[in-house]
Amino acid sequence: MRYLLTDTLIAGLPLVPVVMGIYLVIRIRQDFDLTVDGSLTLGGALAAVLLNHGAGVPLAMLVAVAGAAAAGLVTTGLHLMFRIPVILAGLVMSIGMTTLNLRLLGRPSISLGDGGTLFSGLAGLAPDVRDWLTVAILAAFAGVFLAAVGYLLLTEIGLALRATGVNARMARAQGVDDRRSLALCLALANASAGLSGALIVQSQGFADSGTGTGTLLAGVGAVMLGELITRPGGASRVGRVIVAVLAGTLVYRLVLVGALRAGLQATDLAGITALTLVAAVALNRYLPELGRSLRRGSPARRPRGAAATVKEVG
Amino acid sequence: MLRLDGVRLVHNAGTPTEVVALDHVDLEIPAGQFVTVVGSNGAGKSSLVGVVAGTHRPSRGRVLLDGRDVTRLPDHARAAAVARVFDDPLAGTAPGLSLADNLALAGARGRRRRLLPAVTRGRQAGMRADLAMLGLGLEHRLADPVALLSAGQRQSVTMLMAGLRRPRLLLLDEHLAALDPRTRDRVLDLTLRTHERLGCASLMITHSMRHAIEVGDRLLVMARGRVVYDVAGPEKAALTPAGLVDIIAGLGDAPSDRQLLAG
Repeated sequence: MRYLLTDTLIAGLPLVPVVMGIYLVIRIRQDFDLTVDGSLTLGGALAAVLLNHGAGVPLAMLVAVAGAAAAGLVTTGLHLMFRIPVILAGLVMSIGMTTLNLRLLGRPSISLGDGGTLFSGLAGLAPDVRDWLTVAILAAFAGVFLAAVGYLLLTEIGLALRATGVNARMARAQGVDDRRSLALCLALANASAGLSGALIVQSQGFADSGTGTGTLLAGVGAVMLGELITRPGGASRVGRVIVAVLAGTLVYRLVLVGALRAGLQATDLAGITALTLVAAVALNRYLPELGRSLRRGSPARRPRGAAATVKEVG
Repeated sequence: MLRLDGVRLVHNAGTPTEVVALDHVDLEIPAGQFVTVVGSNGAGKSSLVGVVAGTHRPSRGRVLLDGRDVTRLPDHARAAAVARVFDDPLAGTAPGLSLADNLALAGARGRRRRLLPAVTRGRQAGMRADLAMLGLGLEHRLADPVALLSAGQRQSVTMLMAGLRRPRLLLLDEHLAALDPRTRDRVLDLTLRTHERLGCASLMITHSMRHAIEVGDRLLVMARGRVVYDVAGPEKAALTPAGLVDIIAGLGDAPSDRQLLAG
């Protein structure tokens, strides 16, 4: 149990960007984009190949993010040009990108050389210190990323994005270009996946062509767990959305790390993922009712209303 | 302000289900004029709204706003000039977003949206002042999701949103139809005040013969995709709801039950 916390954080923090990206697509656009499975691997592959060719960490990560964002734009293009539903366009992309990623890597898995990753400065330190510094670096990335996305959502452009997901007809009547909003959303979601891929590859020291498989599903599970914990309730409460994403990602990883600690094998993780997802859905469905029936008898709660503050939107 | 030149709109062209929704509509509405439109179901009222709003592209003819040809512009690209209020009182606002977010969204209609905070303290003060004028107490509920508001409150907010950013044309698509009588009067009053304040052209589709006659400067009757009756001034004022129903019935179109009941 000793390393449960650091293991969870080291495995979970790199996933924060991609879960945020998935949140943007499934909750703000009300759609599913499977491209993220391929983009996460692509981001990792681009970063690994560039780092192994001696590129600096900033350049490698920038290219990883940009490449993944481009994948999101291709998905948007498929959807808009050929009228393929986003979920199908994403599926096609994720399958196509498997080949692209294998070509990039040259073989199914490559390891990163000793020099020049985000974490190579920590090589000589004691394991405990190294773990916590790794956590600190990953937390810094996750924190800056979440703050940036939170700010974006609160801007005029982000507001237009949130509105198209809730009421597209009204958003168009207010002059919002639906197609541009979708492009922004998918580019952002996949850029986030690319960033996650680049962080994962560097923290684990190798890039694998299968890293991204199941990312969307895992992200959906994390989002649902997060919503269970924080009940964000509406796209206007951006602060709560961010807490939901962070908490959901970490709790989700904690379940998986905990399962491994309890003696399950790595091959069991797919099953655990599925069970976690089902549990999250079930709890989301029935927990509020249970809460209501427990509260019955106690003084009626005032509905969120007149007393709600404007803090979260200001 | 608004001009339609020989606008024709055909749905499902070339198929067995082909429908001529608009058949050569010529129409000119100057700035400041308030026009009401009545007609039975299928007369082409909604198609007229669609062509003016930009959700339908005419098969033939031109749509001009302030002399500019906008025939090929999609709805979002016309939003600076055309403000819409829908028949469904829930359609004009985004339910999951707060009242402040909805107003901020409308406050940027037709201009470039920036990477700057949408809801600022200064804008909130302006929003409270605007909402206070509705007299519904909504100025205290800026952070509430719009989903918590009643249908009448939401239509009032949509009307308020339509009046932001000085549109050149108010496009009102049976926007009073789904409201209870008291709310209807209130939203109608707000509509007229908004029209006066903006000095814009207004096009109001209605199923109420009484509103069609009593409200506005000019009345159009549509049938089978054409404007068949166009009156203004004393001639319009002299109309009675029963007489108007007779006119529609005389065109060979059966007035809907709803129109008869609404009198």
